[in-house]
Amino acid sequence: MKRSKEGLAGYLFAAPWLIGMSVFLLYPLASSIYYSFCDYSVLKPPVWVGMENYRELFQDEVFWKAAGNTAMYAVMALPIGMATAMGLAMLLNSKVRGMTVYRTIFFLPSLVPMVSLAVLWLWLLNGEHGIVNELLKHGGIKGPNWLGDPAWSKPALMLTGIWGVGNSMLIYLASLQDVPTSLLEAAQLDGANAWQKTRNVTIPMISPVILFNLVMGIIGTLQVFAVPYVMFPGGSPARSTYFYAMYLFDNAFRYNKMGYASAMGWIMFLVILTLTFISLRLSDKHVHYGGS
Amino acid sequence: MSALAKDIDLESSPEPAFQSHAKQNRVRVALIHLTLILLSIVFAFPFLWLVTTALKPIDQTMAVPPVWIPREFQWENFGKAITYNADKLGYIPFLLYARNTLVLCIMTVAGSVASNALVAYSFARLRWKGRDFLFAVTLATMMVPFPVLMVPTFALFRELDWIGTFRPLWVPAWFGSAFSIFLLRQFFRTIPFELSEAAKIDGASEWRIFRDVVLPLSKPALAVVALFSFIGTWNDFLGPLIYLLDQKTFTLSLGLQFYQSQHGGTPWNLLMAASTIVILPVIILFFFTQRLFIQGIAITGLK
Amino acid sequence: MIRLNDIALPGLALAVLAAIAASEKMTDRSNPPGPVRITYWEKWTGAEFDGIKGMVDDFNRSQNRIHVDILSISDVGNKTMLAVSGGIPPDIAGLWGPNVPQYVDDNAVIPLDDFCLEAGIKEEDYIPAYWQIATYKGHVYALPSTPASTALHYNTRLLQEAGITKPPVTLEEMDAMAEKMTKKNPDGTIKVAGFLPAEPGWWNWGWGYLFGGRLWDGKDKITANSADNVKGFEWVQSYSKKYGPAQVQSFKSGFGNFSSPQNAFMSEQVAMEIQGVWMHNYTSLYAPKLKWAASPFPYPSTRPDRKDTTFVDMDVLVIPRGAKHPKEAFEFIRFVQEQKNMEKLCLSHQKNSPLRKVSDDFWKRHGNPYIRLFDRLAYSKNAVNTPRIGIWPEYQSEINNAFDEIALNRKTPQDALDAVVARMQPKLDQYLRRLEMRQKVNH
Repeated sequence: MKRSKEGLAGYLFAAPWLIGMSVFLLYPLASSIYYSFCDYSVLKPPVWVGMENYRELFQDEVFWKAAGNTAMYAVMALPIGMATAMGLAMLLNSKVRGMTVYRTIFFLPSLVPMVSLAVLWLWLLNGEHGIVNELLKHGGIKGPNWLGDPAWSKPALMLTGIWGVGNSMLIYLASLQDVPTSLLEAAQLDGANAWQKTRNVTIPMISPVILFNLVMGIIGTLQVFAVPYVMFPGGSPARSTYFYAMYLFDNAFRYNKMGYASAMGWIMFLVILTLTFISLRLSDKHVHYGGS
Repeated sequence: MSALAKDIDLESSPEPAFQSHAKQNRVRVALIHLTLILLSIVFAFPFLWLVTTALKPIDQTMAVPPVWIPREFQWENFGKAITYNADKLGYIPFLLYARNTLVLCIMTVAGSVASNALVAYSFARLRWKGRDFLFAVTLATMMVPFPVLMVPTFALFRELDWIGTFRPLWVPAWFGSAFSIFLLRQFFRTIPFELSEAAKIDGASEWRIFRDVVLPLSKPALAVVALFSFIGTWNDFLGPLIYLLDQKTFTLSLGLQFYQSQHGGTPWNLLMAASTIVILPVIILFFFTQRLFIQGIAITGLK
Repeated sequence: MIRLNDIALPGLALAVLAAIAASEKMTDRSNPPGPVRITYWEKWTGAEFDGIKGMVDDFNRSQNRIHVDILSISDVGNKTMLAVSGGIPPDIAGLWGPNVPQYVDDNAVIPLDDFCLEAGIKEEDYIPAYWQIATYKGHVYALPSTPASTALHYNTRLLQEAGITKPPVTLEEMDAMAEKMTKKNPDGTIKVAGFLPAEPGWWNWGWGYLFGGRLWDGKDKITANSADNVKGFEWVQSYSKKYGPAQVQSFKSGFGNFSSPQNAFMSEQVAMEIQGVWMHNYTSLYAPKLKWAASPFPYPSTRPDRKDTTFVDMDVLVIPRGAKHPKEAFEFIRFVQEQKNMEKLCLSHQKNSPLRKVSDDFWKRHGNPYIRLFDRLAYSKNAVNTPRIGIWPEYQSEINNAFDEIALNRKTPQDALDAVVARMQPKLDQYLRRLEMRQKVNH
């Protein structure tokens, strides 16, 4: 009796999400597959075209450029971002005085709205009036044309990304707190120096969190949209910052090729699933789940 | 391991054991301080530049060599930013955008807290068939990238005739979100089950237990959900970009774009002033709720 | 229980309900009683917006059945498409000529043939180049609000300083004059550029036309890499080579707002540029002391048949599909087409008129000293318009991209344009195929 009452209550309480997930996630996901096989412009009902969209994507140079840009960006930004976040977290973990102040300074940038972020960095990196190049000049370096030179636009974007690592830094910090000091002390007694301690004790102990941040990072960098949309409209200069999500957006809302855009969406999803799966598989060997 | 139950201790200082270790420690501490100070300057610099630019007259923003701190602070730039172009038709009604954003925030925060609490409670403390499987599915949904949902969700809202209204931006918040469900579920599980048992023995219904036993103990966690929801809505750009058409209904994220002239060239000082105003509430909120914030983020990483 | 809980929850609920009420009210689309209200989305801001607003006010005053609500919408080309997709389009949209083919192919605007027939609006009333922009595949889908043509604008003071007495007639003359007028700073950066193909950058797609090239053969071929087009872009690249691409980028990033005294041409940083008939309007507002003049854009000496090449374009009024009041919408559009109204509107923008019949008053009252030139150019047999294909937005992106690469000296024009063809030809094929498919389904 009580069981079924609880069971009923369970469904009722969970109902908002069950409905929400079905309506706003599963149904769109399913229709997305359907649309990806159609020529669909919203103004007219979808017309089945089979594999046509996927075939066209394959031959679409802009698609490959966008995918390439996104991959390149992810490969550059992820490791650097993760290393920065971890490095900062480790510094903060050393329990030096004034920790809260430093922590605040590093974390605040990640709260800034995307558009403000983009606009601020547009200003900082401006070729003629930007302060970043001015500072470099003082240091004797001639700063590149961050926003106008295709070779430097992705690094420019990376700068904005690194400035915002506060979020993952906090996650690392919290997990560093959880590393049992007993293990560190034992290593210390064994004569390990700082680097060895880090490599052999700390990193394995926080490896689940590293994995978590890696997966979240992959999902995030592959979807990057708002900041390049504002900083580099059209992916200029010369399409160097034309990312996957931007091309998807343009196809859906500017060129009215919603079927085409859906196909792009599904490919992205499959790539993310694959990468996540690979990460999980690889991690089995390296990630140490210390009784949680 | 509940990070909310145990505070994150970040303020105690080290205890040197031996004399030579003490010396080593001092050097080490000094180095760390130095690095932290340098990095802080680097990280804080953009903010400082943001605010000083906001206070300059336009010609000083373009000056070469750059003006570090303006001679007089043009505080009126903030006022000008709010009323930018007011004398021309098609001006930027900053306050209107702020109001719209706030209105949206109220609706999404309320919906987020209400729905996620209910659902997380179900996953955390009620037993029902399929619960764990569905929870795993919930977690999996966090991997679905938004772009794949963009088109069909748009088509869905079109069918409902909701495009151009605010509904696509707040109604989904009332149906839960995977991230907040996960957060709250982890927290709810840390509340001793004996309390629920006791109440049940007293004849309380699940709803009573939820409302009178679990919720009051969960204020910090609920506050975290509210906080994240607020910041998410305040900063949201893509949603308003796709669903809002009438310029009068725009939010601050969209409104900020208008300072950039389509013909190239921008009133940088006003744009920075406007940006500052947009960033400010979130930062102020952070200062008042630091603890919650940190703990909230921490718990997401610890699985 | 705790007292806070007693008021907090109901208080919160009230706040939420109030918020919902407020947000619903803001997006309410129902019709209040009274005259039929139609929405009109227009792209203009500032003085140009004032011009069209005056026309709207005139219309509203002239009768009391219809009331037009005009809104200045940024990015109106994309926003209108989005609104049509979303099912809530405005009744009238003020787009650009190049938008028409895409909108028609996507079934986003309604044909106006029957309306025109009823109202007595005929092809013969208009300058051919402009009527062409209003029609597509044999039907009328748009009608003009204001037209435009382009010419060479040059700074007479800088010209004289360089010892030049007459504006250039051929491209080679212009190149030589540009060199004379270019000034550099002591550190080698550009101070004044004689001519910059990338300024203002609104016709980057069109430089091939100067040499007789075409971007589309009118049927099914993308011809961006034809020999003439390549010649055109080689000429563009010659400027990058002369100045140094990095120099040009830096120089450009320092330009101010178009509609401000810091405009490149108005602040005398660029001595000659291609611009449209509206330029006079802007110079009189932002740089009244500037000494400038306009002349037909030079042609390559090897191609005298390209004399009087000008880019024509038109701001158009369309009725989006799904508009609630198409008939009333057309009444306003028709109002604008009447000669006296059209002239009033074009005068307010200091532009030429798209109608063949022009009153003497119009010429007399016109502020632009070169208006006759712009009008004459509109009749030129070398008046150039964008290719009228639905995939023009994508195509334009590609060409602009190629222009960037060419201007940055990253690719040779042949390579860059070959890349454009490689990308766009399959897209055009695809596009034509889908159009066919859609036609089949609709029958």
